Amino acid sequence: MSVRLLVLIPAAAAISLALSAAVDAVALPLFLDTTGTVLATALAGPGAGIATGVLTSAVNTLRNPTFWPFVVVQVIVALYAWLAARGGLFRSLKTAVPAGLGLGVLAAATSTPISYVVFGCTTTGGIALTTALGRALGLPPLGACFFGSFVADFGDKAVTFALVTSVLHALPRRTAARFPWALRAVGAA
Amino acid sequence: MARLTLERVSFWYPAMGRPALRDVSLAAAPGEVIALVGNVGAGASTLLLVAADLAPRVVGGKIEGRVNFRGRGKGEGGRGIVLPTPWTQLSGMAFTVWDEVAFGPANLGWPRERIAGAVDRSLAALDIGTLAARDPATLSGGELQRVVVAGIVAMEPALLLLDEPTAELDPEGAGLVWRLVRALAGDGCSIVVATSDLDALPEVADRVVWMEDGVVRRIGAPALLAEESVCEAGLATTVADVWRTARLGAPYPLTVAQAERRWRQ
Amino acid sequence: MTGGRLHPFTLLAIAGTLPALAWILPAPAGGAVTTAVALVLTLTPGASPGLAGTGSSPGWRPGLVVLRTAVLTAAPFWLFLLLLHDVPSTIAIGLRLTTMIASVVWVGALLPPGRLVEAMVAAGWGVTAAYLFAAALSAVPLLKARAQRIVDAQRCRGLSPRGGLGRRLRALRALALPLVLSVLHEVDERALALETRGFVPGARRTPLAPPRDATAERVGRWLLLVGCAAALAWRLAWRG
Repeated sequence: MSVRLLVLIPAAAAISLALSAAVDAVALPLFLDTTGTVLATALAGPGAGIATGVLTSAVNTLRNPTFWPFVVVQVIVALYAWLAARGGLFRSLKTAVPAGLGLGVLAAATSTPISYVVFGCTTTGGIALTTALGRALGLPPLGACFFGSFVADFGDKAVTFALVTSVLHALPRRTAARFPWALRAVGAA
Repeated sequence: MARLTLERVSFWYPAMGRPALRDVSLAAAPGEVIALVGNVGAGASTLLLVAADLAPRVVGGKIEGRVNFRGRGKGEGGRGIVLPTPWTQLSGMAFTVWDEVAFGPANLGWPRERIAGAVDRSLAALDIGTLAARDPATLSGGELQRVVVAGIVAMEPALLLLDEPTAELDPEGAGLVWRLVRALAGDGCSIVVATSDLDALPEVADRVVWMEDGVVRRIGAPALLAEESVCEAGLATTVADVWRTARLGAPYPLTVAQAERRWRQ
Repeated sequence: MTGGRLHPFTLLAIAGTLPALAWILPAPAGGAVTTAVALVLTLTPGASPGLAGTGSSPGWRPGLVVLRTAVLTAAPFWLFLLLLHDVPSTIAIGLRLTTMIASVVWVGALLPPGRLVEAMVAAGWGVTAAYLFAAALSAVPLLKARAQRIVDAQRCRGLSPRGGLGRRLRALRALALPLVLSVLHEVDERALALETRGFVPGARRTPLAPPRDATAERVGRWLLLVGCAAALAWRLAWRG
């Protein structure tokens, strides 16, 4: 692995964890904690993406121990982002946003069993509340749990994909040329 | 025998059509201090990256010409570069200043006793022994710059490349770095420094290289910094510039001491 | 008793074993025991700030701070569990979660990141894993501070958390884009700085202060692993 890729991975993980400050400022119910994973995948391939996802979960775990079991979701996100990059879905927002919505469904489907088995669906305050809402609407426990995760993930992953697409297009060619997949991801090479 | 030789070197950054360096030739002898002066985009930083074996090896891009480096002894004493932004040069792997300075020597696989000696000497040379236990993330810009220089000096390089090493420093800190440069040269280290601290150069540099648009315009003694053409390019020492602006007549003095002598005559 | 002298790997092994046992052992007795052990452990902080930047001077006070952090982190889970489940399930899941939270909060307060990096280097892991971990850890607070500066600057230019969804999303983009781009620009400079300082991925470097790893501790770590495996086997057999 080149030193540049090695530097990219912790930098991308730190992006995932630092974006919460921006989210708080605009008061939107988003996490954006897979942004670094998607970005690293689009710039440098699935290996860098998976490493970023695992590292994000590891560092996040030190702050909030309940994050570790969701490392599986980070890996799924990296693999999905790799397929999206290969498929040219980061070339414009018109393809990136639907791709992000698709990831939202997949991520919710992955995190639901983890959330249900490990936490009884109480992962974070927001998800627990939407789960409670699902129960109040008469959904069965697992269904309510998926409902909670789905509400949280659906918009989050679409915004994540849109943000990564904006970044890839805003990246100067000279900088982009230094990452193995960046130009191909936006269809410039 | 020169420690660093560049023969007709041209260099292109990736995805760039224009070369950042064109046909540059330069040699640095052991114990010599060479200063690169020029305006933004002159190519001084690129020349340092090429001399450090980072361009094109890490940066990417294309090179023509020959770059030759001779280390010291049995392959020991390599080359080290201090880049202009101190905050991106922290290793990220050290949680105290002492460990940060020891990062390079530890990567070289030196035994622990040798590392400890080199780190302590380096901290003392930059006058930051009192910061040893601090977290690098809590340092000021000036302190950080001293730590970064110390981290390279601790590796005992045979060729030291400095890109604006005093940009973040107050005059006292800058004076310290320039004295250290002379001391290292006295020990046989070759030093190439790109700087806009022109007033320091008459005391520090053995030779001055004036660069423009990736090309070497002139190479000469520090007295170059008082010549008319260099003054026009805005690269003269303050004293020479003031003397010229006041129309006190050529040749312009380089330093305050020279100006005083001229004035008394 | 102070856990600060234990080898970092031993601390991590303990913090990993407790939640594992909490899930393996039958509820609620198993979870009650592991929770009790984990909460007692939180009262034994080290003398230096750990991975999470908490824990400080020796004595009982910092221990109480760590215990309070663990309890406050776990409390909302109990609330939501009670909202979503009956009382026996709440107790069963709640004790497991509390064990997990208390163990990680404990090790986070106790283990300085530098010591963990040294332990990884000394164990011959090469610098790659140690770098990834340490660099991410040290970058997060710096990036958060930078994000906050961008937020403050945009607030001066009229950013407000009100307005429709579209406006807020555009505001988010204006905040996130400069942050991410600045990080990507710096990647190259950081790579150059690491190269010039002799950093080679996968290479072995000199450990500066390798933590002492006593034979007893190594045996202890194996025993923890064997204990977990035995508990799992027993539980599976008991169920079947």
